[in-house]
Amino acid sequence: MSYDNVIELKELHRHYTMGGDEVKALDGVDLEIKRGEYVSIVGPSGSGKTTLFNLIGGLDKPSRGSVFIDGVDIAQLDAYELAWLRCRKIGYIFQSFNLIQVLTALENVALPTVFAGVARDEGLKKAEYLLESVGLRTRTHHRPTELSAGQQQRVAIARALANDPAIILADEPTGNLDLNTGMEIIDLLHGLNKTMGLTLVAATHDLKMIKASDRIVWMRDGQIERIERG
Amino acid sequence: MTRESIGQVHFSLGDAARLSYDHIKRRWGRAAINVASIALGLSFYATLVLSDTFYGTYEGVGGAQLSVESYQYWLVGVALVVSVVGITNAMLIAVYERYKEIGTMKCLGALDRHIIMLFLVESGFQGLAGGLLGFTLGMLAAVMTTGFNTGFDIVFKVPATRMLTLFGGSVLLALTLSMVATMYPAWRASKLRPVEALRYEL
Repeated sequence: MSYDNVIELKELHRHYTMGGDEVKALDGVDLEIKRGEYVSIVGPSGSGKTTLFNLIGGLDKPSRGSVFIDGVDIAQLDAYELAWLRCRKIGYIFQSFNLIQVLTALENVALPTVFAGVARDEGLKKAEYLLESVGLRTRTHHRPTELSAGQQQRVAIARALANDPAIILADEPTGNLDLNTGMEIIDLLHGLNKTMGLTLVAATHDLKMIKASDRIVWMRDGQIERIERG
Repeated sequence: MTRESIGQVHFSLGDAARLSYDHIKRRWGRAAINVASIALGLSFYATLVLSDTFYGTYEGVGGAQLSVESYQYWLVGVALVVSVVGITNAMLIAVYERYKEIGTMKCLGALDRHIIMLFLVESGFQGLAGGLLGFTLGMLAAVMTTGFNTGFDIVFKVPATRMLTLFGGSVLLALTLSMVATMYPAWRASKLRPVEALRYEL
């Protein structure tokens, strides 16, 4: 069964205690994100956007409320099911790229296919195709230290696509890049969103990223302040 | 998607071996320290058991009765404990260095036991290398120290099965010690929550 809303957040709360005080990182968030949508999550630091990002990505569990990914409430899943969800349904892109330093670009991109149980040759072939599609055909056997920041982020994007996920989660993907390189990455992500129909959720400060998105969710003090159309 | 359609993630021993090999190859400095640590402890052990064997063989072919001082076995025990602690320490540092990497692996689908497997396989390789190196060094030392009393050809008079048992036992001991030393660091690594690991700045 296919759901129209690939992400649904219902009455989402995430509280934790810090130095004896209770911090309400998220305080009752409701949000629906449609398949193929490009949503930017914006807000000052401490507004709860990273917490929201982590909850959608199955990296953290809510204190209260539900997170539905493709119709399944991930708060109900055990560690094994969550790992599968992270592996197959969600592609992550980080501000600091987080590539495995000892592996080549090709091996980095093929790594998620290992966890998905794809045969090695097939995984490497897929990785080669993905690297080509992000414009890095000549860099497949370079290690992260031999690549520029923009190239590293392209490798990370290719890696996020390795298992054909339903959702791409990007946490400040242009935060460590200069203006032009950031622009290239935004164009690449936007293109993937449009051509492949990928759902793209990005936590960002970058005005250019915000402008390119379909909807902008403004966060403040753990709540959604307002939602704008892009 | 339904909950029933959720499958399983995969990560075989072969996958772990391949990734561990890459880690050792690219960060050979730390691996070298671990290998040296286990090799030194083990060479001391091998020297002692081999010397004992050489003296026994010498006596068997009509030579004088010679033996290894028993207190030396205590020293071997201490040396092995020291190398285990050294490896635990080095592997804990390796875990801290790889915080983000472990977090990333978990985002890509790794389970706790996959992370444990990765670290144990890596230390297994190091233990194996340390065992081979340690036994070789121990053999040299044993021949050098006993040879003046028993004759240097004594090494060829030891029955082959006895020699193989000693060799196999030593390498197995090195492998076991290296993996035991890594258990706690590997467990620590596996318990890292991806959120914390990714936020961590070294």
